[in-house]
Amino acid sequence: MTGVVCASGVALLMDFIEGVLPADVSAALEAHVAGCARCAAFVASYQATPRLVRDATAVDLPADIEASLTAFLRERTNSFG
Amino acid sequence: MVVPAVDPSDEALAERAAAGDNSAFEAIVKRYQTRVFRLACRLTSHTDAPDVLQDTFLQVYRHLTSFRGESQFGTWLYRIATNAALMHRRASARRPAESLEAYLPRFDADGQHTATPAELLIVSQADDLIDRQILADKARDAIARLPDLYRDAFVLRDLEDMPTAHVAQVLGVEPATVRQRVHRARLLLRGYLSDLLGVKP
Repeated sequence: MTGVVCASGVALLMDFIEGVLPADVSAALEAHVAGCARCAAFVASYQATPRLVRDATAVDLPADIEASLTAFLRERTNSFG
Repeated sequence: MVVPAVDPSDEALAERAAAGDNSAFEAIVKRYQTRVFRLACRLTSHTDAPDVLQDTFLQVYRHLTSFRGESQFGTWLYRIATNAALMHRRASARRPAESLEAYLPRFDADGQHTATPAELLIVSQADDLIDRQILADKARDAIARLPDLYRDAFVLRDLEDMPTAHVAQVLGVEPATVRQRVHRARLLLRGYLSDLLGVKP
């Protein structure tokens, strides 16, 4: 396979990350990204996105909701007696 | 000899709980309640998450005897929590469909990115550019705006770190479909966050 451009490369990224691309396609994608500053930047932000969203949505369990859960389970099960 | 205290494994706790040991069930709840709440917030909303949390552990309690250990206990529990969240969402009002095409990356006629490297990179620097609380609010908003199919795959695969094969089982689709949906979700979220930072994707 030859001729990976930015658009076709972007479409392959998840399959590349998961290692399900044929070896020649993988190699062509890597070669394109290595020589393309735009794609290198795109890949960095594509990878940063899940990390960013994961950190931003890593909420703690509020104490009042934990207390409600415990009360609910005490009422509906034999636990937390 | 001092024997260091070792927490019992999930599977050991599950076995004891299934045999009627309520303290083992309580230990399971304590171990997983924050993770289940987080998952519920990501798949539904902060308003609905407390109900999903309660549903999940009630179902875990009721079905403990049917846990056979053919999967890891955590995977089994996550499957129950995910289904509880999806059921809950199905019961609530539908959101109007929204066009998200504007958040996809743009290419010129030759298939090259139209944005500059600095513009394309900006999401990687979001931590430094946006206030933490604003980022949290916007990230929550962004997930909620994703089409449900993309949202579910992205939350499970990318936020909960579930292997793609497990996500496929939970959602009842092929792994290739999961990858395609996660990819789409990443493109949209990336574009949404870029836009938030003042850059067109």
